[in-house]
Amino acid sequence: MSRPQARHAGGAMTRTLDVVPRTEGRWKAREVWCVVAGLVSLALAVGAASTVAVPVASDLGFVAVLPFPFWVGVLLLNVAFVVALRGDAAGPARRLVMVWLVVVLVLVLFGTAAFVTDVPRGEVAFRHLGIADALSGAQGIDPDIDAYFNWPGFFALLATVLGATGLDPVVVALWAPVLNVGLWLVALGVLTGYLTRDPRRRWLVLWVFCLGSWQDQDYLSPQAFGFFLYLVVIALLLGPLAARAPGFPGFRGVRRADLAAWWRGRVPVESRPGLRVGALVVTLLVVAVICASHQLTPFMVLIAITALTLSGRVWPSRLPLIAVVLLTLWLVYPASAYLIGNPPLADAGLQGATEANVIDRLSGTAGHVLVVQVRIVLTLVLWALAAAGAVRDWRRGRLDLRVVLLAATPLLLFPAQLYGGEMLIRVSLFALPFVAVLACSILLPTHGSTRPSARAAHGSAHPAAHAAHGSAHPAAHVAQDPARPSFRAAGGLALTCFLLAVLTVTGRFGNAQYDVFTDDEIAAVAAVHRLAPPGSSIISAAHPTPWRSEAYLEHRARTIDDMCRSDLSTATCGPLVYDFARHSPGGAVVLLMRSSEASLVLQGAGSARGLDELEEWLSAQSGVELAFSNADARVYRVTP
Amino acid sequence: MSGVSRPTVVLGLAAVALSLVTLLGLPTPLQAVAAIAVLVLLPGHALTRLMPVTDLALGAMLVLALGLATLTAVSTAMFYLTVWSWQACVVTMGVITILACLARARQEAAK
Repeated sequence: MSRPQARHAGGAMTRTLDVVPRTEGRWKAREVWCVVAGLVSLALAVGAASTVAVPVASDLGFVAVLPFPFWVGVLLLNVAFVVALRGDAAGPARRLVMVWLVVVLVLVLFGTAAFVTDVPRGEVAFRHLGIADALSGAQGIDPDIDAYFNWPGFFALLATVLGATGLDPVVVALWAPVLNVGLWLVALGVLTGYLTRDPRRRWLVLWVFCLGSWQDQDYLSPQAFGFFLYLVVIALLLGPLAARAPGFPGFRGVRRADLAAWWRGRVPVESRPGLRVGALVVTLLVVAVICASHQLTPFMVLIAITALTLSGRVWPSRLPLIAVVLLTLWLVYPASAYLIGNPPLADAGLQGATEANVIDRLSGTAGHVLVVQVRIVLTLVLWALAAAGAVRDWRRGRLDLRVVLLAATPLLLFPAQLYGGEMLIRVSLFALPFVAVLACSILLPTHGSTRPSARAAHGSAHPAAHAAHGSAHPAAHVAQDPARPSFRAAGGLALTCFLLAVLTVTGRFGNAQYDVFTDDEIAAVAAVHRLAPPGSSIISAAHPTPWRSEAYLEHRARTIDDMCRSDLSTATCGPLVYDFARHSPGGAVVLLMRSSEASLVLQGAGSARGLDELEEWLSAQSGVELAFSNADARVYRVTP
Repeated sequence: MSGVSRPTVVLGLAAVALSLVTLLGLPTPLQAVAAIAVLVLLPGHALTRLMPVTDLALGAMLVLALGLATLTAVSTAMFYLTVWSWQACVVTMGVITILACLARARQEAAK
């Protein structure tokens, strides 16, 4: 870390800093070692990942096929991070070293697939490219097309960026996870700076956040963009828009008027009106953009704003009301076409949500079920660590209510909608930053305070000023540096981080057998786009299929899995698919790929033999001809 | 222009120059750099400078958030108004940057 010296410049919230960079001093051997270790880790991980053969043969995904040098690299990286984090009496290693190690971690965890193959994983990123392409070629926005055209903000951004930069869309999609996580970490770094003045804890929060990101929501998507903007809003609420409330009178025996008086008694933490007004304007712009870009995130933003405002820790009192107005206006006007057919809360309920999000996912091959269980275990481990950290902070009288609220309130989304069985994943994502903050109280037990009041007592609420207190004055720490972990604690932390990394790689890349595509499969999809005339239907066996990245509006796209739902037997499903294909105006093209078959088999929806029978039956029907084939795919043309 | 800081002038001139070269076209890697600068980084920086932000990390976050949010708002509005083209977005973001620089220049001149 640098060695800033806080120079008081009037504001209680923000101070001007004369930064005396630590880089002026000599690099310590430990710091050089950490940088080199990061470089070696990256080389090992990239080298090992590039030897992985596609298609991935195991139903455990990457974890079963990544060679041991990858894991040596991951272990070395975590050890280097803990060594750098432990640092010396002056604090952790200099900022440059810590940033470098975080960058390497992001590349190793979130860029692994890009080192294995140059094809983006999964289906959705391809579809999102197709929507951006369709938008850029259309006149205006037709909300009747599908849900995406009711929340077009992200796709409008994507269309502009792709058009102006001239970048290859597939390359953008391939590296989107690394870019998105980079954006998230920038916002999370600022946000964490308003929650703790301990620089070690701040770095560890970023690290644990990365290690807990198994959700795989960082691909090219409105969700990833919305999550970045969500973190920005929270950072502004915890920083320039924060308020300090007087002592809470408690609920027992207190009149409503007393509670109202307590709430009105809060004062802004930031003393400069200019920054408060600016931050409010930015918040409103960002909330509006979130409303225009994603279905779910605006509701999470509204919940978080409301919870923080009611807790008396946000200065603008009408912010929840303004957020409600913005969200309602968007739903009533631009998104009304979608909402007419899909009313909100239509499938609300705890039982349905549990079935869709948990029970339905715990089926399939033994390896696939193990991967799902690993995801659940990783989530529960992090939540358990967070709960233990919260209890520890509470006992020491330094529990920050805002962190607890931000970690717990995403759970309110869980019973509200099934969200295609992905709501628990989104809940886990929105809670993760604050779960990481709480977990760090256990992973890095310190005697430093995280209470804003204590921070104010130190005369510093500014992130950089925290660093000043946390690490910049060696003399203040040489005698006693309670924040510095012991050798034993550091060893335990390194081991914990490594185990979390193994679990995250397992959970995150657990579907690699079917969501990492081969070149032959991409060639087959290209053939489909060539063979399918405008107005025809494209039928794939199952999701994920890397289709619809072009000519999004020209074809109907269906999967056999969606059409036949619970029964994929030839007797039931075959005629359904055939009739649909024959009656499609313009005919149909049926795409059968290795990855789709693996998807059905791994998730227990069908068997390889059953799918072979279905294909054999289909290919024998009149008007069906094989139009393209290679090692991993067959394409059948069905004439109407 | 007395009292106007050099960064404000440089930012405004950079927005004009990069908008022009982005519209005229450059080889792919340079085009990407110029486009990202003129669409996201320069407007984000110019708008952030209107606020009294002294913290580097907060400033960096605001540059990215404001740049991306403004570009999203501009692009979405253009699509709804059926006037979208990436060139129009480049021009609009360039104009936003220049207007923000002018507002900043007024702030500086008033001090």
